[in-house]
Amino acid sequence: MRNSGAMLILTFIAILTLQAAGVSPPGKPRLTSCRSPEKETFTCWWEPGGDGGLPTTYALYYHLENSETVYECPDYRTAGENSCFFNKNDTSLWVNYNITVVASNALGKNISDPVEVDVVYIVQPNTPEHVTAVVVHDEQGPFVRVSWEKPRTADTRSGWITLLYQLRVKQEKDKEWEEYNAGMQKYYNVFSLHPDKEYMVQVRCKPDHGFWSEWTQTTYVKMPDYITRERSLWIMITIFFVFIVLILTWTLNVKRNSVKLCLLPAVPGPKIKGFDKQLLKSGKSEEVFNTLVIQGFPPTTDYDNLLVEYLEVYDNEEQELVLDGKDLSEDCMKSKSPSDIDSGRGSCDSRTLLLEKCMDGREGSGSNQHQYSQHGETRWASTESSESQGPEPGSPESANGRGKTWPVVFSSPKPQPHHHYPVGAAKPAYHSVPEILNHLSPHAMPSNYHQLNHQDIPQQEHRFSKPACRHSQSYNQFNLDGVDTPAPGVPPSPSLEYVEVQRVNPENMLLLRPLSDPNREPEGSDCTREDYSKVKEVTSNNILLLQRAMSHQCVDDYSQADQCTTQQPPHPCKPAVHQSNSGMPQEAIRVMGNGYVDSTVLMPSY
Amino acid sequence: MTQGSRLCFAVAVLMCAFVSINGVGLNDLLERASQLSDKLHSLSTSLTNDLDSHFPPVGRVMMPRPSMCHTSSLQVPNDKDQALKVPEDELLSLARSLLLAWSDPLALLSSEASSLAHPERNTIDSKTKELQENINSLGAGLEHVFNKMDSTSDNLSSLPFYTNSLGQDKTSRLVNFHFLLSCFRRDSHKIDSFLKVLRCRAAKKRPEMC
Repeated sequence: MRNSGAMLILTFIAILTLQAAGVSPPGKPRLTSCRSPEKETFTCWWEPGGDGGLPTTYALYYHLENSETVYECPDYRTAGENSCFFNKNDTSLWVNYNITVVASNALGKNISDPVEVDVVYIVQPNTPEHVTAVVVHDEQGPFVRVSWEKPRTADTRSGWITLLYQLRVKQEKDKEWEEYNAGMQKYYNVFSLHPDKEYMVQVRCKPDHGFWSEWTQTTYVKMPDYITRERSLWIMITIFFVFIVLILTWTLNVKRNSVKLCLLPAVPGPKIKGFDKQLLKSGKSEEVFNTLVIQGFPPTTDYDNLLVEYLEVYDNEEQELVLDGKDLSEDCMKSKSPSDIDSGRGSCDSRTLLLEKCMDGREGSGSNQHQYSQHGETRWASTESSESQGPEPGSPESANGRGKTWPVVFSSPKPQPHHHYPVGAAKPAYHSVPEILNHLSPHAMPSNYHQLNHQDIPQQEHRFSKPACRHSQSYNQFNLDGVDTPAPGVPPSPSLEYVEVQRVNPENMLLLRPLSDPNREPEGSDCTREDYSKVKEVTSNNILLLQRAMSHQCVDDYSQADQCTTQQPPHPCKPAVHQSNSGMPQEAIRVMGNGYVDSTVLMPSY
Repeated sequence: MTQGSRLCFAVAVLMCAFVSINGVGLNDLLERASQLSDKLHSLSTSLTNDLDSHFPPVGRVMMPRPSMCHTSSLQVPNDKDQALKVPEDELLSLARSLLLAWSDPLALLSSEASSLAHPERNTIDSKTKELQENINSLGAGLEHVFNKMDSTSDNLSSLPFYTNSLGQDKTSRLVNFHFLLSCFRRDSHKIDSFLKVLRCRAAKKRPEMC
C-alpha cells in the first residue's frame, strides 16, 4: 500500500517534471488529400499535428459506409511518409470511405477529423509521358507537331478511364502560356509560331470527371528561320500597288489639263456686251449700266407705225350711243349684220387690219373722219384705225398731193386731242367687232386709204395695244391708178375694213391697202386665203358671184357687191369696180368690202 | 468525270454506307450516349457544388447515409476488374435500370427546386430541369442501343421510388434534396462509366478513341 502510493506520487512528480520539460501528447493530425491516379487505387496523405516532443506514431483507420468494420491502412510506405496507400484489393468504387488518422505517442494520442471519400471523385491521373515536339515543314510554312503518350497507369484502352489532354507553349521570355486543348488525341499541331525562336512545350491531362494532372517537364523546340509566304505575298502586293499608284500619278500629272477640263468643266461666265466688270467692282454703277443701254431701244420713232395689231373692241351700248348721232355711218351700220366671221379674233389672228371706217379719200371724209375719229375715241377698234383729218401732220404723203388719202389708222394725237381714246371710255367688248364691221359699208372700196402714222403710236400708250404681229402686218397700198375712179366717189362711210400694210415708205409711213383692193399685188397674203371665198360680183338681184380663182385673179377679179347702192342711197358707195363677170356661180351671199363673205346680209336690212 | 460516272459513284457510296450502317450506327449511338451521360454527371456535380456553397452544418449531421439511396440495392461492379468482366448487355441493362430508377425522383426534385430555402435556388431549379431533359433523351438513346445490340433478354431491375415529399420543414427539405442529389450524382457516374466501357468495347474500328 505504501509502495503504490509512493509510486503514484513519483509518477505524478515525473509527469510534472516532464511537462516542465515540454513534452505533450501529439497534436491532432489532419488528412490533407486522397487521390486515385487511375480509378483503381488511391492514396491518402495526412499531416501530423505536432508530436509533442515524443516520438509519435500515426495510424489510419477507415470503415466503409455500409459496415462498421474498421480497417487499418494496409500500406504506409508505398506512398511515402505520412501516407496510406490503398491497393486494388482494398479499393472499392462508388463507396464512401470514412477515414481517420490517429496520432499517438507515449503521452497520449490524438484523432483527426473523419473524412468521407468516394474514390471515383478523387481521380487525378499521372502526367503524360514522352512528350515530343518536332518541326514539320509544310508548303504553307513550318509548324510544330507536339505528340505524347498517355500516362502509363491509366487504362484508356478499355474505356475505364477517359483522358483529355492539354498543352501549353511559350517562349522563354513570355509571361503567359498559350494553352491548347487537344481533346482525347495524343498529338497537336501548333501553328503561327515565330521563326527563329525557341519555344517551351508542356502537356497535362485530366479524366472526364476529375482533376488535372501535373504538367510534364518542359520540352524545347526551335523554329527555323523562314519568310512566311503570306508576308512575301503582301510585300509583292504592296509593291505592285505602289507601282500602279506611281504610274497613275505620273499620268495624271502629264494630262492634268485635260483632267481638269474633264472634272471641272468650264462654266461660262456671264458675258454681257458692254458690261465692264471692273467698273462694277469700282462701284460706279451708273457708268456700268449706262453701257448697257442701247441707244434707240425701244424703237420709238421707227416702229410706232408698225404696231398695227391693236385689238380694239367696242362695246355695243356705247357704240349705239355714238352711232345715234351719226348720219354717216348709220345706214352702213344698219346694213351690217352683227355677225362677223372675224369676231373674237385678236388682231394678230387677222391678217389684215380692220379699219374702223370704210372710206376712200380724204377729201370727202374729212368731216367723216372727224366723226369717225370721235367714234374712235369711244371705241376700241380692232385696229387702231382712226379717221385722219386731212393731211397728217407728219405725213408728207398727204402733202404731196399725190392724191392719196391716207386715213389714219392710229389717230394722231398731237393736233387732235380727240383722237386719244379715253381709256375708260370704251370697254373692249369683242362682240362689238361685228358692229364695227357694220360700219364697213359694202362700198368699202379699195379706195379706202389709210395711213398708219408712225408718230401716233407712242402716244397711244394708254390704248390697249398689242405688239405688232409681223405676219399680220398688213398694208394698204394706195394705187394711184385705182384711186381716181373710186376716190371721189368713195363715201366716207364709217365702215371697217381689213387692210394690208404694203410697205413702209422712207418717211416711216405705212402704206396700207385694203384687202379689197383689186390692184393689190400678188404677194399679198390675202391671195392665199383659200378658205374664204371672194365675191366676184353682185348682180342686181343681190346675188353675189363668188370667184374661185386664186392668186393673180384676186387682183383683177375682185368685185364688190354694191349693196350700198341698193340699200343705202345716202352713202355713196364706192363706184363699183365692175369687174369681170367671168361667169362665176351666183350665190346669194353678200360680200363685204374686204372680200369676206357675209351671208347674213341677206337678211332684211335693219 | 462525266455526269453518269459521278452518279454511279454516289450511289455506290450510299450503298456502302447502308450496308455498314449497323456497326457504324452502334458506335455513333454509344458515342452520343456517352456524351449525354457525361453531361448528366457534370450537371449533377455542379448542382452539388451549388448546394454545398450555402449548406448549414447541422444538415451534414442530419444527412442520411448513402446506403439509404433507393438504388443501393442494385448490384453493380465495384472495381475495374469486375466491371470489365461484365458482358455488354448486362452493362447496358444496368445503365438503363439506373436511368429508369431516377426519372421519378428527378421529377420530385424538379418540383421542389423552386421552393428550396437556398439562395441559389434559381440556378438549382434551372439545372434540375436540364437534368430531367437529359435523362429523357439518354433513356431514349439507350433504347436504341438496346435494340441495336440484339439482346436476348431485357432484364431491367426495378428500383421503385416511394418518397413523394422531401419533408415538412425547410431544413429537412433542403437536407433531403441534397441527399437525393448525392445519390443521383453517384448513380450518374456509374452510368457514365458503364457506357464508356461499352463505347470502347464497340469501337474496334477506332482504337484511337480508346
